[in-house]
Amino acid sequence: MTTLPNSATGPVTGGVSAWPALALERAMRAGEPAWALAQRREAATACERLPFPDRRLELWRRTDFGSLALDGLDPFAPGLRARNLDDLPHGVIERLAGEAGQMGLVVQRNSEVVLEQTHPALERGGVVLCSLERALREHAGRLEGRLGALIETRHDQLTALHQAVRAGGAFVWVPDGVEVEIPIRIVQWLDGAGAAGAPGTVVVLGRGARATVVEELLSDGTEGQAFYDGGTEVFVGEDAKLIYGHMQDFGRNVYHYSNQRARIERGGELQWIQTLLGGRMSKTNSYFDLAGPGAQAFVHGFMFGDRRQHFDLHTLQKHHAEHTTSDLLIKCVLKDRARSVYQGLIQVAAGAQRTDAYQANRNLLLSDTARADSIPGLEILANDVRCTHGATIGTVDEDQMYYLMARGLPRNDAQRLIVEGFFVPVLDRIPLESVRDRLRGVIQAKIG
Amino acid sequence: MNAATNATVGIRDEYTEKYGFHDPDKFVFKIRKGLDRDIVEQISALKGEPAWMRDMRLKSLEIFEKKPMPAWGGDLSHIEFQDIYYYVKPAEQEATSWDDVPADMKRTFDKLGIPEAEQKFLSGVGAQYDSEVVYHRIKENLEKQGVIFLSCDHGLRDHEELFREHFGTVIPPADNKFAALNTAVWSGGSFIYVPKGVHVDVPLQAYFRINTRDMGQFERTLIIVDEGAYVHYVEGCTAPTYSSDSLHSAVVEIIVKAGGRCRYTTIQNWSNNVYNLVTKRAMAYRDATMEWVDGNLGSKLTMKFPAVHLMEPGAHGEVLSIAFAGRGQHQDAGAKMVHAAPHTSSKIVSKSISKDGGRAGYRGLVRVVKGAFDCKSSVNCDALILDERSRSDTYPTMEIEEDRTSIGHEATVSKIGDEQLFYLMSRGVSKEEAAAMIVAGFIEPVVKELPMEYAVEMNRLIQLQMEGSVG
Repeated sequence: MTTLPNSATGPVTGGVSAWPALALERAMRAGEPAWALAQRREAATACERLPFPDRRLELWRRTDFGSLALDGLDPFAPGLRARNLDDLPHGVIERLAGEAGQMGLVVQRNSEVVLEQTHPALERGGVVLCSLERALREHAGRLEGRLGALIETRHDQLTALHQAVRAGGAFVWVPDGVEVEIPIRIVQWLDGAGAAGAPGTVVVLGRGARATVVEELLSDGTEGQAFYDGGTEVFVGEDAKLIYGHMQDFGRNVYHYSNQRARIERGGELQWIQTLLGGRMSKTNSYFDLAGPGAQAFVHGFMFGDRRQHFDLHTLQKHHAEHTTSDLLIKCVLKDRARSVYQGLIQVAAGAQRTDAYQANRNLLLSDTARADSIPGLEILANDVRCTHGATIGTVDEDQMYYLMARGLPRNDAQRLIVEGFFVPVLDRIPLESVRDRLRGVIQAKIG
Repeated sequence: MNAATNATVGIRDEYTEKYGFHDPDKFVFKIRKGLDRDIVEQISALKGEPAWMRDMRLKSLEIFEKKPMPAWGGDLSHIEFQDIYYYVKPAEQEATSWDDVPADMKRTFDKLGIPEAEQKFLSGVGAQYDSEVVYHRIKENLEKQGVIFLSCDHGLRDHEELFREHFGTVIPPADNKFAALNTAVWSGGSFIYVPKGVHVDVPLQAYFRINTRDMGQFERTLIIVDEGAYVHYVEGCTAPTYSSDSLHSAVVEIIVKAGGRCRYTTIQNWSNNVYNLVTKRAMAYRDATMEWVDGNLGSKLTMKFPAVHLMEPGAHGEVLSIAFAGRGQHQDAGAKMVHAAPHTSSKIVSKSISKDGGRAGYRGLVRVVKGAFDCKSSVNCDALILDERSRSDTYPTMEIEEDRTSIGHEATVSKIGDEQLFYLMSRGVSKEEAAAMIVAGFIEPVVKELPMEYAVEMNRLIQLQMEGSVG
């Protein structure tokens, strides 16, 4: 059996307002610790009090999820436990093929983690890789004070909803000093229409630890509506180094909302790669806390929208401590009637002297019906700093086109080459070759 | 001392002594405190306005009351709208000779150097004291060429048709809460019309002075530059230092017709108790150029984002902005460029300096609407933070709906470079002087666009500001 039938079971009676209570019941049955249950209750209350996010909220001024009919979705759709890789949906197998033996892997399907595959190389070092549910039973102490610590419940209603109905997600724990040689991969899979996923993922690197984690968001089908409301919290310990990739390539029926937070301690380094390619509408908040002196964050990302796709990315580089560095580059290509919003802020707290922060946003418009909004920002409360940002929006450079066409390339090929080249600085950072090749393929298909 | 000198000096510590004085209250008429229909009707009646203007004021008041306070930008929570005098009439009539200006007021403007400057290097001067313009005069040769330079009230009285055709078209009352407020209670300001092809070589200047405590000044300026014409308008402003806050909320509308050029220079030097919430916008038509040169030195809080709407091909817009925030000050300055037609270009250069706990920022918008292809826009924002208690913000926004465009934004925030200081000091320059030189160099791209007299003063100001303090 290579694929399983669509397992979504249909909408919940009572609609979205019934979700939190049901989720709480399920969590109690699953044996979640008291503090985690308390968090769910608090989130449920916030969910009731907060309005559905719309243009009145600054961060939702340019993105409207109003067309998403939450009541028609099922956040508890089962996933069908996989005995091995062969039981996974075809779309997942395809992406893991050939490398499955050389990685740690957690696969979630709809609301449940269906596969947890660790590796001797991980076990030797005491690395924990499992579903968040299992972690809440077996490693509750390691999650307390971390799960939900970086994502503010009241950020908006959909964030509160995520925390109230959280289902699935992965837990990665790398002890002090352990260097993980093989990549850890997390796959979030949604089965077609009607599915809603709300996984919560926590990644913790101890002092001096090293790891590479790649999280992929995928789905089946393009019809109807589906919703992903995820949260990722990443803790990079002192002098630790984490490479984290977050790749979204959902079908065109998915509304995607992600809250991602990372906290980097003294001397820690985070390499963050973010790609947004799929979905109907996609909104992501990626915030980076440079919490300890010498912490570093390098953020590279791209979006590529076609047809009526809508991408909205908000980044925050928060420098709390001295001698911290952040370097961010977000690239965006839009064709057809696609639209992008990039909003980025560098914040330097009072006393965070000798901060070096950089932020660049480059946008390439391939059609006159595409639209790009770029809203970079700086809030600087220290004086001995170097903070720079730059943003550009433009079309394919005619001089470059001319150069290529003069060498015999047809116009289409010349443009394809230039667009591919535009993505290279980010593609080069993607840690796994197979992932990189696949994304290159998606980009080529999108250029058309 | 000349007007320019006075208009630009802004040493906050020296301010009280130099401009912070106030005359005894000798107004001719002061309306009761607060804001309601009756107040608006009284203002309109006092001015003997036509009914359409009164109706527009009343409608604007309704809009003002309905609109919420802006939730972004500076802290506006301390403005008590009912605790303000909305109209204070300083003199019986507008004079065209300084001899006819009441003695106290003439002394004030003498101290500020206005009459002297008028002689030396201006084409015309308007001087507003509280709610009304007390002095207004334009050189005869310009008048003969058909240039109109009047207080806005006289503009309405003497040129109603021209006035009505343009008033409120660039900034309608519903544009924002403070534009609605201004339209409801406006008084004073300038009305300028430059006929086709007329080149006004030397600047026209308006000077705004608040004298009365708890006063709100709501001047209204309307400038129409006809085809191929040119004018440079300069405004300056100061107020006494009171412990209670004043409100200054102006609206400036500018229309630059085909091939015309308008430059509008502001040296804002209000005392540190003034809320300065101003809406400024220009429409530039085919091949027209609009330039805002905006210097914000004073006030408690300034929220001001001069805008240019580029309406037809070939239009060009520029904003050159300097913001300086010292102790207790928040300068939320910026610029807006709306490319509404193809082949339009814009340029924004913003320089901000914060010191002694001040907060200076740039907030801007570059918008390219669908169909406005082949547009170019560049935005450059640089900020210097001179000590660790001060703050700098940059919030540029770019909304681009057209692919054939080239839009760029760059911003940097830094302190004075140690290498630069070292370089200068190794050549025998003291640390203070070196820092002052670096700051002067930092704002030079904007200062060089100021009229000479202002530029000299701006540099002097920076030098003084820098004394005894090195970032």
